[in-house]
Amino acid sequence: MISFPKHTQFIKNRSPLFFKGSWVLLLFVFMNSNKVNAQEINFGDYSSLYAVTLTDLFPSEDLEFGMVFQNEGLKSKTILDAKVLSIEGVKYLDVLVDITADDYLLLDGNLACLSDPSCRIPFTLEGSYANRGANDTNQATQMTVAANIASAQFPVLYRGTNPPGPPPTPVYQGYNPALYNETAYLYIYGSLNIGMIDAGTYTADITITISYD
Amino acid sequence: MRRFHFLLFFTFACYVTAFSQENKSITASINVSAEVIQSIELITVNSLRFGDLQPGQKELYINPINDINAGYMIALGTPGASFRITYLLEQQLTHSEGKGGITFSYEISANTEENQPTSELLKQNNRNIEFNLDGRYYFWIGGRLNLENAQPGNYQGDFTIEIDYI
Repeated sequence: MISFPKHTQFIKNRSPLFFKGSWVLLLFVFMNSNKVNAQEINFGDYSSLYAVTLTDLFPSEDLEFGMVFQNEGLKSKTILDAKVLSIEGVKYLDVLVDITADDYLLLDGNLACLSDPSCRIPFTLEGSYANRGANDTNQATQMTVAANIASAQFPVLYRGTNPPGPPPTPVYQGYNPALYNETAYLYIYGSLNIGMIDAGTYTADITITISYD
Repeated sequence: MRRFHFLLFFTFACYVTAFSQENKSITASINVSAEVIQSIELITVNSLRFGDLQPGQKELYINPINDINAGYMIALGTPGASFRITYLLEQQLTHSEGKGGITFSYEISANTEENQPTSELLKQNNRNIEFNLDGRYYFWIGGRLNLENAQPGNYQGDFTIEIDYI
């Protein structure tokens, strides 16, 4: 026997099938949402509660190839000359990093040069990361690059073959993120192939996207 | 019934919110740049000519600013680019039959226009000179030849000038 408050009088007039169907629907919704979350233990589920920051260690400097000559051929910047960015986040969590570079440097950034070989320089992206707590290129791991997009997933703090650490401490009043944070480093570099092109200033953009897994 | 609808809405809202937060990401952008410069070329238009010297003549002077016997060269490079010039102030010219040598002290004048009379004398180490908008720079080469110990005959030597982008 189900009883209802007086002000829900109109509901009483509904067919019992209506209530049965509603409860089934509600149960289905709960089961459906629980099913999604229960299939795996994902420590990153609440990662949106935690901040991840990306900092340019030398913001005044671009990835500069400097002065190059017409028809010079391949001009490379190694990891030792790379543009360095730091990623600060929860050390237990994995971050997904995508670095997307333009395929060409264009004379004065002119988009019309995309289809004009006399005013564009092909650019090949390379990227690495170091996640052992130090800005040390000797500890860097090279990222996979396809179609000038470098991608990697790695923990903010290297854990080797060990299983993931404990779930991050929930954000609470007085929470001090510094206790749970670590810094990883991102190195961006690459090479140009300089043909017989017009003299002038050539530029391109590289976009870095980071999120917790 | 309202409560029931609210409950349904709340359930869906929680689910959608959690989903959208999982995809939160940050982005940053950096710039890649290169300055492509044209290789420098030096073209000799006229060589320095001394002509015939008179017996007993102690010195020969060719003024690079107004002498038609001055050497004439054009440097080609990136329009507007800065460069520096270095050259030896003195050069030994050698006798074609090995009978000693004579010293030549160079003087160079230069101009961004192809106009010798308005050119200006260069110092030995010149910086912050720029190619003109056509990527050209003009030189006239003259100097002073000391003939006091010169033997009759032909003398030859090279003039070396070095140009580097700054």
